[in-house]
Parts: sequence; structure tokens; C-alpha cells
Amino acid sequence: MSAWLANAIEKSHSVNDWLTAKRQGALALLQEKNWPGRKTEDWKYTSVRALEKRAISSAANAGEVNVATIAGLEAIELHFIDGHFQGVKQSLPEGLSIVELSKADAEVQAWAVEAFSACKPKKHLFGLINDTLADNGLVIDVAEGADIKQPMRIVNEITQDIDVQHRVLVRLGEGAKATVIEQAGGTQESYFSGFAEYFLAEKAALEHYRFCLRTGKALSIGGSHFELKSNAQINSTLVGFGSELSRLDVDVMHRGEGAHAKINAVYLLDSGEIFDLHSCIEHEIGHCTTDETVRGIVGDKATATFNGRIHIHRDAQKTLAELSNKNLLLTDNAQINTKPELEIYADDVRCAHGATVAELDKSALYYLTSRGVSKSQALVMLNFGFINALVDEMPNSALAEWLRPQLQERFAKMNQEPAQA
Amino acid sequence: MLKIRNLKAKVEDKEILKGLSLEVKPGEVHAIMGPNGAGKSTLGYVLTGRDGYEVTDGDATLNGEDLLELEIEERARAGLFLAFQYPVEIPGVSNLEFMKAAVDAAREERGEDALSSADFLKAAKAACKQVNLPLDFLKRGVNEGFSGGEKKRNEIMQMLLLQPKLCILDESDSGLDIDALKVVAEGVNSQRDDQRSFIVVTHYQRLLDYIKPDFVHVLSDGKIVKSGDASLAHELEAEGYAWLETYDRQAEEETA
Repeated sequence: MSAWLANAIEKSHSVNDWLTAKRQGALALLQEKNWPGRKTEDWKYTSVRALEKRAISSAANAGEVNVATIAGLEAIELHFIDGHFQGVKQSLPEGLSIVELSKADAEVQAWAVEAFSACKPKKHLFGLINDTLADNGLVIDVAEGADIKQPMRIVNEITQDIDVQHRVLVRLGEGAKATVIEQAGGTQESYFSGFAEYFLAEKAALEHYRFCLRTGKALSIGGSHFELKSNAQINSTLVGFGSELSRLDVDVMHRGEGAHAKINAVYLLDSGEIFDLHSCIEHEIGHCTTDETVRGIVGDKATATFNGRIHIHRDAQKTLAELSNKNLLLTDNAQINTKPELEIYADDVRCAHGATVAELDKSALYYLTSRGVSKSQALVMLNFGFINALVDEMPNSALAEWLRPQLQERFAKMNQEPAQA
Repeated sequence: MLKIRNLKAKVEDKEILKGLSLEVKPGEVHAIMGPNGAGKSTLGYVLTGRDGYEVTDGDATLNGEDLLELEIEERARAGLFLAFQYPVEIPGVSNLEFMKAAVDAAREERGEDALSSADFLKAAKAACKQVNLPLDFLKRGVNEGFSGGEKKRNEIMQMLLLQPKLCILDESDSGLDIDALKVVAEGVNSQRDDQRSFIVVTHYQRLLDYIKPDFVHVLSDGKIVKSGDASLAHELEAEGYAWLETYDRQAEEETA
């Protein structure tokens, strides 16, 4: 056991609130877990050594920082600075309730205590730590049938060398519609643990974004986890920049017939950055669909890891699941560890997966150059286009317009030893 | 403008062009017709420099410049444009950024300043309008999800923006209904002047009702076997390519 984990466990004893029963349960599991090392399958390619050296601390007060709004996005802005919530500044539309984790009243607690950790799998060690320590976050409830047009944008900024354990619970009632953006940025040396759980009732629809944009010494381990009841659907876009340690776990539980999950993920890594995406789709029941597309560009000596598991349970007949992971390596030292895993126990399903290191499309290169575009510029356009195709698919165009130049700028800075033509 | 002399080319080990000669003068429109597999598309690919098309003999010059020695993009900048029979779909690269890069390159070649984004957008919108493409096609990925007809019109849109000197239209009429065909033809006709030349590759006379050629050539088995004026296209349409063989035999018999 690392000193950091011992410290976390010790600290958890002093947390006492409405979640105590849940926290104790997580703590009991935690005490049986081993600290991940090179031989831990789930952490084979991503070292947590940077975390081991840390002393856990939090900030008494929020630092000074301005969170820029996004042009054209009329969002309900929900900002956390150094783990301190900055309040809800807009008036909320009917059918939407947003409360701080620490201020949940009896009515909210009643459902939230049941939801807490109900769709985040117990296997996530750092999720368990978050269970025991999360002291800031939000509980969001969208009423049955409510159609919330304004996206909820949850932003975490950290300005000090601290640890932030952040937790979000979101419940969408039957037929409800909402958009939630989880965004974390910055380069400040710190540790951010952000876990979110989403519960979608029958026919609910969630548009979801998670932007993991913390770089440099900003360490991050987090997860977004979804439970879908019948005919519920999520459309999720995940974007990752790497840092010394950046890990995201995404789990989808199909728990009602006709549920649909579309997930697009993009990562763009430079220098010695690490980004590790683990996704697990549980088809527990039949007639559900999953469409997961993951694309990354890895430059310099960065390392991307993708592990995509699709688990089709015995009774999950008529499942349609597709998983694709394509990667573009810009240098000889860039590394991608990709592993799609299909586990199928039902016999009447359609399931496809693929993981490749992308090859340049020669006919596309010919087409672009035949119009007078230089080969080097055409390569840049095609390489960027490889991930931009997923940005184009983002349902919210204001977010796409905001994200695209950031990706472009990052891409332009990357060490561009172009892939072989 | 374009001079092709005894051009021979192969793809993998198969010889496709077997000694093709053709001269196109400024302002002329040449139609090339011929059966499937004659080498019509190969000619466009060889002239633009597509990988895998190897020239084994002969030469081709554009305004005196040896085309075959140039890189693909240099040929385009020298004023060569191929409207593809099967335009390539490139998701993630928008039509607009593609054309901006191409137009910038063409202007730089001519020693002109790059257009401002606003001026370029204006020109691009006008070109779209001219070929009846909705303006949001500029923002979409290159040819991504376009119908066959939209792809063909997008090729003409690019031609309008790039203002090339020599345009090769490779079956720009295939798969088009009559309205789309007219749009394509009008796009081409709007660009005709005494300097700009066209090679129109087609199976059918139909397109030539709208784009009147000065010359018609029949390409068969890698060579131009017959040349004539626009009336040759009508004869071909009426008689089919099989007629050519009879025709040739008759000619041979007559000379013998």
C-alpha cells in the first residue's frame, strides 16, 4: 500500500455526512485492494507513481481564476474553483434541480444516497477513494418529461497544489432530456479526481461531454458512468489531452431494452504525455445498441492507452455493438496500447470491433494534392481531419467551434514528423 | 496548351495507354469518347500524376512545361485540373478549408496575395450558388455524404474557384439527371474563353449537346483511333463503338 492511499484511508475516517454509510462500504472494499503496479492488468501501461509521492491536501479557499464562457453556448454555468463551488448564477428552468453535494436536503438525500455508487463499478480503486473522500460536487435532478434546453456546464479549475475529490450525480426522469458538460482544465500541479454517475430512466436522453484538458503536472483520474433504462439514450463525446497522469474510465450499463449508447472519443497527445481511456459497456439485457468510436493522435514520446470492453450477458439477445479504435502515431517514439475486448455470452448478437494504427488514405492525399495543396499541408489536413471528423459529429455546434481551434493549436504545436505517405 | 506525344503508361504490369497523341490548343474543347477500359480515366490520372500509373514512353507538356516531371501539386499549380469521376470523401477536412488551401496555393503560384478569409468565403459562396450546392456544403467534410450528383457539382465548384488553364472532366455527366447535367454544363460553359481549354471524357453524346466540343476523339485500346468534329459523336451514338471496327475494316479494305 502506498503512503498516499494510507493517507486517503486515514482521512476518510473523519468524513461524516449523509453519505457515511456508503463511504464506509467503499472503505471496506478499499482496504482489500492492492495499490496498482505494472502487473495490475488495468494499470499495465499507466504508472500511478506520480500520485504516490503526493501528500493529500485541500484548499481552505478558492484561488483567483476566471472561467471563460463559451461563445454561442448559453449554458447553466457550474464552476468549481479548487473544489469550491461558485454557486448557480442563473435561474433554473422548470423541472431542473441542482444542489451542492454538501447541501442536499432530506428529499434529495433520499434518492441520491441510493444512487451514489450504484452505477460506478466497484472495480475502480480511485472511484472507491472518491466514494470515501468526495466533499464537493453536485446532485442534479431532471424531472420526468422535462426538456432542459440549456446545457449544464460543470467546470473544475485548480489553482493550487491540492487534491480535489469531486462527485456528480445526475438523474433523468422518464422521457427527460438534458445536456451535461464535464470540463477540467489547467496545468497547475495537483490531483483531480472527478467521478460522475448518470441514471437515465425510460426514454430519457442525455447529451454528454467530458473534456479532460488538464496537462503538464496536473494529474487526473476520473470516470463517467451511465445506467440506461429501456429506450434511454446517451450521446457522449470524450476529449482527452494527456498529462503526467490522466486516466478516464467510462462505463455504460444497458439495463432496459432498446437503450442506445453512442460514444465518440478523441485524444491528442504530445511530448511525454499519458492518456489512458478505459471503457466498459455492459449489455445486461437484450435489444440494446452501442456505437463507440475512439480516435487518437499520439505525437513525440507520448503514450495513449485504450481498453474497450464490451460485455454481452447471456440474456442480451439482439444486441448490436460496434467498437472501433484508430490511432495515428506521428513519431517512432509515440506509443499506443490498444485492446478491444469482446465478451459475448448471448448467441444472437451483432458485434464488431477493430483497433488499428491508421494508415494514410492515399486516394485522399492524391485528391488534395491534385488541387495544388502541398503534400506536407495535405498530410496535416488529413491527420487533423482524422480526429476532426469526430468533432464534426458533436451535436452541439457551439462546443465544436470552441473545441476545434484548441485541438488545432495543440496539433500545430505537436512534433510533426509526418506519418509515412 | 497541352501536347501529348506517343504516351504509353501502365498500371501494375498492364499497359493501358499504348501510344496516345493529342494536342489541345488554348480555348479548345476536346471530347474523348470510347468504350469501357479504353484508357479514358487513365489519361486523366497519368496527366495529374496519380501513384501507381507509370509512364513508360512518350511525353506530355503543358504550355511547354514537362508535366510528367512535376509533382502532383505542381501540375495543379501549373493550371491542370481533373474533375474526378469518383470524387474522394474526406471526413474531418471541410470543403472550405480544402479550397482555401488550394486557392492560396494557386494564387501564390501566380504571385498574388492570399485572399482574406472574408473575400474567399464570398467567392466560395458564389461558386456554390453557381452550381446549385447549398452553402452548408462548404462547412461539411469534403464530399462527405454527398450524393453522386452533388459530388460532381462540387468538382465543378472547385474548378470555378481554382480557375485552371486546362480542365479534364472525367465522366462528369455519369449518374446525373438532366437538371444536374445542365448545371454542370453551364458551369463549364461559363468558364470557356479563348484561353482556357477542356478535355471532356464521356461515354455519351448527351453531355456534348450542352458542352459543344470543337473536336471529338475516339479512344480505343489505349490509342486515339479516330478524330473528327462534333458530328463524330452523333455517329458514335447512333452506331455504337462496334461500328468503329467495321468502319476501320472498311477503311483497311479500301486502302488495300
